[in-house]
Amino acid sequence: MANHDIHLTVRKGTVHALCGENGAGKSTLMKILYGMQKPDEGTIKLDGEQVSLHSPADAIARGIGMVHQHFMLADNLTVLENVVLGAEKLYGIGNKARAKIKEISDAYGLGVRPDVLVEDLGVADRQRVEILKVLYRGARTLILDEPTAVLVPQEVDALFDNLRELKSEGLTVIFISHKLGEVLSVADDITVIRRGTTVGTAVPSETTPKQLAELMVGEELPSPETRESTVTDVPMLTVEGLRLSATDSDGAVRTVLDGIEFTIHKGEVLGLAGVEGNGQAELVEAIMGMRDPDAGTITLDGAEITHLATRKRREGGIGYIPEDRHRHGLLLEAPLWENRILGHVTEAPNSKGGLLDNKAARADTERIVREYDVRTPGIEVTAASLSGGNQQKLIVGREMSHHPKLLIAAHPTRGVDVGAQAQIWDQIREARREGLAVLLISADLDELIGLSDTLRVMFRGRLVADADPATITPEELGSAMTGAASGHLEHHEEGTPPGADEGEGKNSPESEPESSPKAEKDQKNSPRNSPKNSPKREKKSSKNQKNSGKREGGDEK
Amino acid sequence: MRRVSTITAAAVSTAALAFSLTACGSSSTESSGGKDKGVGLAYDVGGRDDHSFNESAARGMDKAKKDLGVGGRDMTAKNGETEAEREQRLTSLADAGYNPVIGVGFNYQKSIEAVAKQYPKTTFAVIDSVAAGSNVDSVTFGENEGSYLAGVAAALKSKNHKVGFIGGVNNALIQKFQAGFEQGVKDTDSKAQITSQYLYPNNDKGFNDPAAAKDKANGMLDSGVDVIYTAAGLSGNGSIEAVAARKDCWAIGVDSDQYQQAGLEKYKDHILTSVVKNVDVAVYDVIKSVKDGKPLSGPHQYLLKDNGVSLATSGGFIDDIKDKLDAAKKKIVDGEVKVRIAPQQS
Amino acid sequence: MKKIDKNKLILGLAAPVLAIVAAFIITSAIIGATGKDPFHAYQVMVDFGSKADSQVWIINKATPYYLSALAVAVGFRMNLFNIGVDGQYRIAAFFAAVVGGYFTLGPVAIPVMIIVAMVVGAIWAGIAGLLKTTRGVSEVISTIMLNSIGASLIGYFLQDGRLAKKEGNLIHTPYLPGSAHFFEFPTQTKPIYGFVVIAVIAGVAYWFLLGRTRFGFDLRTVGQSESAAQASGVSVKRMVITSMLISGAMAGLVGMPTLLGVSYNYGTDFPTGIGFTGIAIALLGRNHPIGMALGALLWGFLDRTGTQLEFEGYAQEIVGVIQGVIILCVVIAYELVRRYGLKIQQRKVGEELAAQASKSDKAEAAA
Repeated sequence: MANHDIHLTVRKGTVHALCGENGAGKSTLMKILYGMQKPDEGTIKLDGEQVSLHSPADAIARGIGMVHQHFMLADNLTVLENVVLGAEKLYGIGNKARAKIKEISDAYGLGVRPDVLVEDLGVADRQRVEILKVLYRGARTLILDEPTAVLVPQEVDALFDNLRELKSEGLTVIFISHKLGEVLSVADDITVIRRGTTVGTAVPSETTPKQLAELMVGEELPSPETRESTVTDVPMLTVEGLRLSATDSDGAVRTVLDGIEFTIHKGEVLGLAGVEGNGQAELVEAIMGMRDPDAGTITLDGAEITHLATRKRREGGIGYIPEDRHRHGLLLEAPLWENRILGHVTEAPNSKGGLLDNKAARADTERIVREYDVRTPGIEVTAASLSGGNQQKLIVGREMSHHPKLLIAAHPTRGVDVGAQAQIWDQIREARREGLAVLLISADLDELIGLSDTLRVMFRGRLVADADPATITPEELGSAMTGAASGHLEHHEEGTPPGADEGEGKNSPESEPESSPKAEKDQKNSPRNSPKNSPKREKKSSKNQKNSGKREGGDEK
Repeated sequence: MRRVSTITAAAVSTAALAFSLTACGSSSTESSGGKDKGVGLAYDVGGRDDHSFNESAARGMDKAKKDLGVGGRDMTAKNGETEAEREQRLTSLADAGYNPVIGVGFNYQKSIEAVAKQYPKTTFAVIDSVAAGSNVDSVTFGENEGSYLAGVAAALKSKNHKVGFIGGVNNALIQKFQAGFEQGVKDTDSKAQITSQYLYPNNDKGFNDPAAAKDKANGMLDSGVDVIYTAAGLSGNGSIEAVAARKDCWAIGVDSDQYQQAGLEKYKDHILTSVVKNVDVAVYDVIKSVKDGKPLSGPHQYLLKDNGVSLATSGGFIDDIKDKLDAAKKKIVDGEVKVRIAPQQS
Repeated sequence: MKKIDKNKLILGLAAPVLAIVAAFIITSAIIGATGKDPFHAYQVMVDFGSKADSQVWIINKATPYYLSALAVAVGFRMNLFNIGVDGQYRIAAFFAAVVGGYFTLGPVAIPVMIIVAMVVGAIWAGIAGLLKTTRGVSEVISTIMLNSIGASLIGYFLQDGRLAKKEGNLIHTPYLPGSAHFFEFPTQTKPIYGFVVIAVIAGVAYWFLLGRTRFGFDLRTVGQSESAAQASGVSVKRMVITSMLISGAMAGLVGMPTLLGVSYNYGTDFPTGIGFTGIAIALLGRNHPIGMALGALLWGFLDRTGTQLEFEGYAQEIVGVIQGVIILCVVIAYELVRRYGLKIQQRKVGEELAAQASKSDKAEAAA
């Protein structure tokens, strides 16, 4: 039973937030509301009228639309084609449809251009296309599944503006998220789901994030922040003068990475901030050996690996938590234990000589499931049947099991519930203490700032800025990500929101004297103990309790 | 689960194999029915209604049924058959008591040899090939001689001095047609251009693919060829159809008198003549010999001089050149002209 | 866990059973529509097909079918559609026949010919692999064209005076010497070709290679998700070429039962089209070594009984219809069952997790 005793009332013309851990039953509830799954009992009323939804088509016909967490767009089609696909009867596929798209786009300030190829769009734009697609089909109630997971703060704000527009036009939005700050800022009502049932409702104006978090997980939110610096002087990954060009869909050759230089030391987490599509994915692929750079060198632990095959690099100690786990991290239709082999087929315990050791792989999968708290009834189920958080825990467990020297973690907690998030952070921290070097890429700037020892900002294929995670705020980082700032970023005191400032992000005169190289050096070698971080430190113990509690529960099966 | 299913499946398959190895149960050939059911005719691909080769054999059987009062049954081959299927077909017929069993087409050579050994009391016949066996009648024709006459006619009738040959499959038998035709054309009109093409290098589908023949014919017609001789079984219909769509072009049919065939009624004004292979005569001969208790065996050639092959005159399109044709025929019959059986390598 | 296993087994069997039942109903309707009695037809098929000599016939027929299905399945497992098995096995058998017919090889004749066939098949398929990786040509297009090129090449060499000899109206490569005749299993009726042993070995090798080796894991990974495979360190391009080579080498074996056990030469009457039958059987057997074996036997059975049906006065094409309908039903049934299974599994995972959750709830409450 994934859901039971769910009570949810959404008022018309409001933004209603639905909070809860992944695997708590949010997705199932949404599937029921969208007609993808049938409830065993209970009723759904729409505008006071009882309805039964047998399929998404039913739901659409009744004005319910869904924007999925994973976008359902065809990359090689234009926005117009994607929007009209399957809805050709509404406004045709020609100019009438184009006009309608423009009309909707203008009405809600979506800024969608109908004739661009979807593959050329960034994540935020794609999301707007998804929203438009739903509106185009006449939706009056929108369900948004974790819409902010992929966005930077500025984009989140833009999205919330869009949502407010929708609301003011009388549309209803159901907004699924576990980011409490966002929920509180945009929602009119909040319903919290835990373990498949509604555990409470809240009114944002009367609720603090703390209260909401307690409602959600029964305890306080974990923090991504690290305890103390473990950075050493030993370089683990060195990238020098890296340049990479790629052929885009029009056949034109573009430089996607240029002049990339950085070093990650043992025990260091280097956080890479940047709006998606600015070359982070390409950088990761170049380090992984999936793309061959035009110039520059990549050195891992003293050995040059610039043109080495991916498998050799993995064997050489690179662990990889991919950005898109469905595309790069899992075989969705294969059982968990085969997924445990994926990427490490040549390493123990998965194989001996040229032969697979299925028995050992199975046993080790059991271990990962146990130690990393992957919630599954067994290791023979397919990866697709697990929730996102548990899939990610499996991937993290798999990669950590091979004791990597370097971990590339791209959005390691995207779409992962709070409990799993904390665990993944713990794992990264623990490995870092043991001398692991981590390249962390994340759109969650809190995570990025909290976990990293060093921060770099990527913009249009170049590393344009660096910052000290001890002092920088997400807003400041965000403005650098949009290209508004470069060089070494300094924290603005007095709480001046950099976004409001005209000279935003550019090194302000006050901070100029403190030269950047010094700050960077300091931060690398000295343990970080900024007062800002200390209050949140105690939470660790309560979290451990929670984990051990879960493990006991898990052992009984 | 993987393990469970693998083991079960392995067990099942082992059992199945063991079952087969011991080959328990009775053999299908033990249940043999009566005898003397008449003629058993196994066609080549294309089937009875190919308007050509198979149909000619069928006529022989029909005539025997009528004249001699014997029974009979015919069966058809599929595209892409193996030896096993042909053997099975012949075995079925022989086993059911049909006598003689006739394999129409040289593809049956080996299967006839194999099956004839098992049924020594049954007479077998194979058309277009020579098969070993004391109870086997091997029927071959002088296709090259008939084709020579077709070549003479084509050369005389072509206004552009361009003639074409289309073979179904590039094999020894069809090359005989090509060789005779080319020689006939050259001996009559040394300046004439001959285009010879095959539908398939080595796939029997060539006798059962009218669309391919139509394409080939159209290609030739486009290049100015105005008489096309097609030796390709059922595929020939496609070529005839293509020719009939053009003005002043002639098709030459093969095996049966294609002018007379109902299925080709629409195109008959373009069928100059046909190289008739009197398969029906040969089939009738075998059936009659069995009926008379003196079954034929060994090789039998049906040549021009025996009227085993001839040019059809229906439609009267070649009446004006009859003298020249008769002269050519006489030269062959007299041995003055030796018709090649394989085309000259150019 | 046991429970899921049982369900999986039932689901696994459900698809073929569903497909065969559906095919049965549809063909009955078709035979009925032609005014004949369908049940008599089935009776004829079962009676005739189960006869001892029919069993031998079916196994002999199924052997090349099975090899062909294996060749196709190697490609299928990594999402490559090798339509060229037909051309590959013919050109492989042809050159093996040439080598065996012209050179005196003595006792090594059989292994040499088998190796030649596998190498030639691999080269022919490898061309398609190379074209795909270097020029991005779809293997569907290139293999189907290579079929045609192969046929023409054979047609060129298979002429009297080139590499072939003429015997009556048949043209074929020289007969193989007795040392190149494969052994046979004598039975009460006709012998079973010894090559069935090689087919079984090939089936086991296929299962072992794909299921038990690293290479096989890589291959399946590419088949399931090219992007995940690449990220996991598999060189997709190299995999494409390697699997095409393996597929082609396997295809090289397809013609061998005929060449070494029946015809002893490659002639104009050498069977064609087995490569396409292999595609159907690989689909039917879902690329599973046992499933394909059963599929090949079923095909052999249908071939065997089809001729008998004609003898009984049914249209010969009925068997073709049955075969087509079975394939169609299998593809549909597998997809239905797969979706249903996925749904069941997801629900089960949800249920078990909920059960766990309520258990730990209780534990917490107790604490």
